[in-house]
Amino acid sequence: MATIATSLNIVPQRAIITSKTQPARLTCPVRLNNPWNLASRATNRMVNFRPVKATPEGVISDKVEKSIKDAEETCAGDPVSGECVAAWDEVEELSAAASHARDKKKADGSDPLEEYCKDNPETNECRTYDN
Amino acid sequence: MAVSTIYSTQALNSTHFLTSSSSSKQVFFYRRHQPQTNRSFNTTITCAAQQTVVIGLAADSGCGKSTFMRRLTSVFGGAAEPPKGGNPDSNTLISDMTTVICLDDYHSLDRTGRKEKGVTALDPRANDFDLMYEQVKALKSGIAVEKPIYNHVTGLLDAPELIQPPKILVIEGLHPMFDERVRDLLDFSIYLDISNEVKFAWKIQRDMAERGHSLESIKASIEARKPDFDAFIDPQKQYADAVIEVLPTQLIPDDNEGKVLRVRLIMKEGVQYFSPVYLFDEGSTISWIPCGRKLTCSYPGIKFNYSPDSYFDHEVSVVEMDGQFDRLDELIYVESHLSNLSTKFYGEVTQQMLKHADFPGSNNGTGLFQTIVGLKIRDLYEQLIANKATAPAETAKA
Repeated sequence: MATIATSLNIVPQRAIITSKTQPARLTCPVRLNNPWNLASRATNRMVNFRPVKATPEGVISDKVEKSIKDAEETCAGDPVSGECVAAWDEVEELSAAASHARDKKKADGSDPLEEYCKDNPETNECRTYDN
Repeated sequence: MAVSTIYSTQALNSTHFLTSSSSSKQVFFYRRHQPQTNRSFNTTITCAAQQTVVIGLAADSGCGKSTFMRRLTSVFGGAAEPPKGGNPDSNTLISDMTTVICLDDYHSLDRTGRKEKGVTALDPRANDFDLMYEQVKALKSGIAVEKPIYNHVTGLLDAPELIQPPKILVIEGLHPMFDERVRDLLDFSIYLDISNEVKFAWKIQRDMAERGHSLESIKASIEARKPDFDAFIDPQKQYADAVIEVLPTQLIPDDNEGKVLRVRLIMKEGVQYFSPVYLFDEGSTISWIPCGRKLTCSYPGIKFNYSPDSYFDHEVSVVEMDGQFDRLDELIYVESHLSNLSTKFYGEVTQQMLKHADFPGSNNGTGLFQTIVGLKIRDLYEQLIANKATAPAETAKA
């Protein structure tokens, strides 16, 4: 039962990883570089690549930047209004979220083996011997 | 499909854990949770006489709550992690003994709603205190709840997640002690009071790496939130059983870097199951500089103060530490002279501090007092459990 549970644990974990870290699919036609396909070689010209969507961390950073601009604009009119205060509160919330994302990335994003071993310490790759 | 199976194994794990750990004989009735397939039975019935201890932790954002949480869960053993298989943006942390709930999940208005109404997250109008009270009460009585999730990245309220009642429930956020009903449910409450200069220095450290932020924008953000903070969050400190106050140091004249800190642990007297920490002689006023012949410290050194005091018309004891630790033996030396620490063995505070030497505040009073409060909470938990275990025995005898 325990082994089933642990093996099941991998599946959603993988799902989480793909949804968060995989960049968005390119919607423009992708040119394949297959050397055996003579037709593709002939038609492989310069392709307009749409840039890959920002990583989640980049998304938050963009949001922080945008919210600061919004707050400065809102407060230029009336510094004590509720909207101005709410705008700066949003800046604060997003900055906190950005800093948490950075900490999380620093904490566990570096080594995929470490991440795997956190969830599956009994597998052969992750066994540690104390003596 | 995979998600539903995981929920069931999780439920099994939690009940299994309960039966193995509690010594008293308790009967558990439960039905397997059958989501979506069969609408007729859709609730799990768990009958448990488990007592959940509820701790409240209040602080403004960016004030070290998450560091405190990690230290606290580490005192009980194990690492707290977000629930597996759930929403990746969940704010909840779960370990073997503790579950940490972020009170931002009880926002009644999401980010756009707050912007329209012109209220901050600090305003009580943006929070659903009725739901908070009901769910904390349910968890305290041993009933699982579906708690909403506030996604900090998108600013929206996501679908709820199932929270099982843990042994120790920690509610951390801006308003744990604001509502009177929730306050009565708390077994222990802590308030992190950061002074304005230190808050400014910490926020600069946190935000200067972010592009778009400048010194002016950080300052403007703090200033804008200050009125709401002073009106709604700050008054909660009078209700707290322990207040950790962080101030700029007095050892370095005109210091504005905020690296060396003066930290005061203000402990309320007369709280059940909580005995304040003291230095040398309980109830007297002591000023202590440990650096001297037996211990050599580098600049600016360490200074301790202990005294009884009055705080918002309550009797309190205050232990204060100014300066920072540079070496392990300074920490051990200080620990050996503090009394009533509720440690299980000599050097436990030092061991806990070393275990998390990379956490911010590990070399000054913030880490020290957070660790001590963590040990006090463990002591409170054990006393409460022991009390609850003997009480039914007494009623059975009578």
